Amino acid sequence: MGKSIKLILILSVISLLSGAVLSLVYSITSPTMEAVALENQQKSIFEVLPGIESYREYKNDESMLIYEGLSKEGNVIGLAYVAEGAGFQGRIKLMIGMDIKSKRITEYKVLEHQETPGLGAKINEEGFKQQFSQKPWTEPFKVKDDIEAITGATISSRAVTELITKSLDEVLQIVGSDEQ
Amino acid sequence: MLKDLLLIFIGAVLVNNFVLSRFLGVCPFLGVSKKVHVAFSMGIATTFVMTLSAAATWLIQTFILDPFGLGRFLQYVSFVLVIASLVQMIELFIKKTSKDLYHSLGIFLPLITTNCAILGLALLSVNKTYNLAQSLVFGLGAGIGFTLAIVIMAGIREEIDSADIPEGLKGAGITLLTAGILSIAFLGFSGLISM
Amino acid sequence: MKAYKEFIKGLWDENPVFRMLMGMCPTLAVTNAAVNGLAMGIATAFVLFSSNIIVSLVKRLIPNEIRIPAYIIIIATFVTIADLFLAAYFPDIHKVLGLFIPLIVVNCIILGRVESFASKNNVLYSAIDAIGMGVGFTWALTLLGIIREIFGMGSIFGVTVMSSSFTKWVIFILPPGAFLTLGVMLWIINSLSKTKTSESHCH
Repeated sequence: MGKSIKLILILSVISLLSGAVLSLVYSITSPTMEAVALENQQKSIFEVLPGIESYREYKNDESMLIYEGLSKEGNVIGLAYVAEGAGFQGRIKLMIGMDIKSKRITEYKVLEHQETPGLGAKINEEGFKQQFSQKPWTEPFKVKDDIEAITGATISSRAVTELITKSLDEVLQIVGSDEQ
Repeated sequence: MLKDLLLIFIGAVLVNNFVLSRFLGVCPFLGVSKKVHVAFSMGIATTFVMTLSAAATWLIQTFILDPFGLGRFLQYVSFVLVIASLVQMIELFIKKTSKDLYHSLGIFLPLITTNCAILGLALLSVNKTYNLAQSLVFGLGAGIGFTLAIVIMAGIREEIDSADIPEGLKGAGITLLTAGILSIAFLGFSGLISM
Repeated sequence: MKAYKEFIKGLWDENPVFRMLMGMCPTLAVTNAAVNGLAMGIATAFVLFSSNIIVSLVKRLIPNEIRIPAYIIIIATFVTIADLFLAAYFPDIHKVLGLFIPLIVVNCIILGRVESFASKNNVLYSAIDAIGMGVGFTWALTLLGIIREIFGMGSIFGVTVMSSSFTKWVIFILPPGAFLTLGVMLWIINSLSKTKTSESHCH
């Protein structure tokens, strides 16, 4: 009995040491990680809304994060929002841009994903992404009919497509109800 | 709800088979697939551990890691620890309750701790934000998918034993080529369900 | 002399991928492009190097009965450190490797080397052993990645090398391509060498 207590003690000490080391490393790296994430997010707003000079938060709560992109004169020319959903391996997080004048999608940018390298990870490449630009807001589109799936990554392609159509509806509802 | 669970199950067994399309659990798949009955026992033992560890890691994530915000840096350590102790406990339990069961399954249990399919399953369930029921079904499906793959593989390898194969291809080479062809076969399932 | 021997064995005679058939999950999963194989190899080598050193330092303090769980905790700690550092300072590589970073924990190369070598040898040799094995694993993964990328995407490290008339053999970057490429490579290697690749050291 005395022996097993000793074994448990040793294992606990190792676990504690590991926990201490990790929380230290985490406290060192987490500011950088957050800064990288924030910078990516800000940069992506300008990327999905070409031509804007600045942006401001339109809505920021647990359900939605929407930005308004402003032109030089201060007019709202586009909306950008963050959408999150399930992919093949894990979560996919996108920044999606909407052009107000033409009522079309500008483009999207992948903020986070865990898709298979070389296959599903291609949701982040131009060849696939450009298929979404200039799609009208209100006409639903589907993989196969309107969007050509990535070879070997049908699920990832479908996940992105559905994430965009679904979140677009939600955003339009929020924006629409605010205007009334 | 039920349809949702069924989709997760079929997805884990066939469409995104853990071994043949996600490459999780390849080591036992190549190492313990020489005889069908051995492969089957390994598969059952793995399925058992997978289902239980899916539940255990879900509880850890939901009630300890998430509330205290520890998930980002203690997840891997706590998950492997939970899986290792779970395997140990199952081994002790089987040893005490049934000698026969211990002889047929117990010998595989220590090997399962380092089977990456178990940890992979736990991390995937968290990434997909599954609830407890979904995690359990995902674990069960993944285990059955693993069993299916390893038993088919063992069946083919028993036949290959008596085949005339070039010297250099014997052993590891032909095993991998067989796995490749099996993997092509499983690609055929990829259109079966749409998410 | 012994140091040289411990280093050189991982490169060929005991190469983890081509001779020992170890660490198959990442070997097959992330080698659909050269850069992925290289990044995975380096991350694994870092974890192996750190774990080997720590285990050879504390080996006398850990009782035999709990050595496996103790080693696993040490390995998981270094994997988390690697994960956090990659996420903070190399977010692009971190994105590419995804789920397979945490799975370094259960890569049997690491537990295998820690248990069969670092727990019996001094720090210097354990470090050298880890470097040899790490380099051996890295070049094997990179080579597999290069071959699959050439046929599957017509490029090496993202640089196009095939003419535009080349039809990409997509199967090479799909799961079956991983098994088939490694299978054919083992065929070639085993036909040329006297000893045969062992059939999986860890199960």
